[in-house]
Amino acid sequence: MKMDFDKWALAAAAVVLAVLPFIASGYILYIVNLLMIYIVLALGLHIVIGETGQFALSHAAFYGIGIYVAGIINNAWHPNLVISVLVAGVVAAGLGYLLGALAIRMRDIYLALSTFAFGEAMQWVFLNWNEVTNGSNGYQMSPAWFFGFELTSDLRAYPFTVLGAALMLWVTVWLSRSQLGAAFRAVRESDVAAQAMGVNANVIKRVAFMCSAAYAGMAGGLYTTFASFIHPESLGFWTTILILIMIVVGGIGSVRGAVIGAVIFGLISELLRQMLSFQEIIYGLILIGFMMFAPRGLFSGRRRTRKAAAATGAGSSGGTQA
Amino acid sequence: MNDQTQALLSIDGLTVRFGGLTAVDDLSFQVLPGRIHALIGPNGAGKSTIFNCISRYYDPTGGAISFAGADVTRHRAADMAALGVARTFQNLELFNDLTVEENVLLGTYSYGARGLARLLRRPVAANREFAHHLLERVGLIDFLDARAGGLDFGRQKMLELARALAIKPRLLLLDEPAAGLRNREIDKLDGILTDLASREGVTVLLVEHVMQLVMSISDRITVMSFGHKIAEGPPAEIRSDARVIEAYLGKGNLDE
Repeated sequence: MKMDFDKWALAAAAVVLAVLPFIASGYILYIVNLLMIYIVLALGLHIVIGETGQFALSHAAFYGIGIYVAGIINNAWHPNLVISVLVAGVVAAGLGYLLGALAIRMRDIYLALSTFAFGEAMQWVFLNWNEVTNGSNGYQMSPAWFFGFELTSDLRAYPFTVLGAALMLWVTVWLSRSQLGAAFRAVRESDVAAQAMGVNANVIKRVAFMCSAAYAGMAGGLYTTFASFIHPESLGFWTTILILIMIVVGGIGSVRGAVIGAVIFGLISELLRQMLSFQEIIYGLILIGFMMFAPRGLFSGRRRTRKAAAATGAGSSGGTQA
Repeated sequence: MNDQTQALLSIDGLTVRFGGLTAVDDLSFQVLPGRIHALIGPNGAGKSTIFNCISRYYDPTGGAISFAGADVTRHRAADMAALGVARTFQNLELFNDLTVEENVLLGTYSYGARGLARLLRRPVAANREFAHHLLERVGLIDFLDARAGGLDFGRQKMLELARALAIKPRLLLLDEPAAGLRNREIDKLDGILTDLASREGVTVLLVEHVMQLVMSISDRITVMSFGHKIAEGPPAEIRSDARVIEAYLGKGNLDE
């Protein structure tokens, strides 16, 4: 059943995304580009929170690092965008690893607070490092390049954001099925038991931080393929919370939840752009609704209790034969 | 070492202090390969502390622990599975939100390659078959896709045992495996452990309060009280040891 849903959803998405550039306006394509960025961001946060259970609240900071790194590289050298996106990912990954190395000494609320503090500090850097980021005036970026082809419109960036998001989705599923994914989940469920299985919990947590930051950094790099301007204001805690809401509403621990959460909330945030004051109220109401009626989100990555109860029921009859 | 067989696990002068409290005091004993060795004693005697030192969750204050002739205290907890030391936990440490199958498959995590190659590997079919074989053995094969946290207590205990066996251990440390089990389940555990030691040569060190099991399966028993060893010997000897009866079992308990 689940396989069918995923296949149908992917096929439908592929058809829509293939047709869209021929029929849609630039504004629609801009929104789709943005949604692709949100998908990559949500997948990255899914790795560290959903898979590994480490409450990191610094995602927007790594996204910002990716945007500035790619933007600066684009302005200075006009390299192929593959290079600027990769460098953005690598720089963010390196910083993510370092943050992870410090943050894993803490857990739960302390981890959340310290990573929050890192996010705030990075936003302060974006705002005040005038020589590099142009501070509170925002940073102007020249268009990205791809083999002499200049990405000057949303239409031209479109294939890159779509393929970028598709690639990261594939990587996420692949990682989740590898031993690394199993190790992530083992650490989430029990640090102590994970170590008894030979999983070095501290290394795995650092790797989770690193992967998560790499996704955010590459999302930042992809952002520079269609955007020419970034302001530090949009790289604060609110952005992290928005991505957190995406994965919570989608269903913590679920890849398809992260993707669908990113699409739904990406759209809502764009539709509500004209009425910023209502935005937070509406998000709040949606979140409260989910917490009350579907606390595990649209798609739960974790096993449902109903299934377990059924299995235990079946087990008691199995037990009598033994 | 009093006979020609080399001990698989050797605890020598082990001392563990937590602040002012001495949990284990200059304790020594040896576990021979392929044997079932029980560690018994009243609560707080320091049995679990010894387990935590062997499996590297605690650092001993003094003394030596050697496994297969090599010092283990320089290793970390996460290294022990690859060395062939597996354990279960007194208060269950399952991966509750994962399935029964996933729990056991994690036991195969430390096989083969190390580093990045290990992390990027996919679970192979042979490991899955082995996991199924173990689940069959502990009677959980019908629960492959059930959530581990949703199983009843006895089955959770059996799942933890299967997960430890998936490591393919040379030394299996069992911390109160029979606690909370029903008689039928204890009989089953008895059979599995006896089989492991006699047919597969797995060495078992267990902490246990259920005397019925301890007396039935152990080759040797070490009795502890307040961090000290007060007696050691085969079950028949321990059963009649006056110090043991006085310190731990209480008069006549063993005959019940």
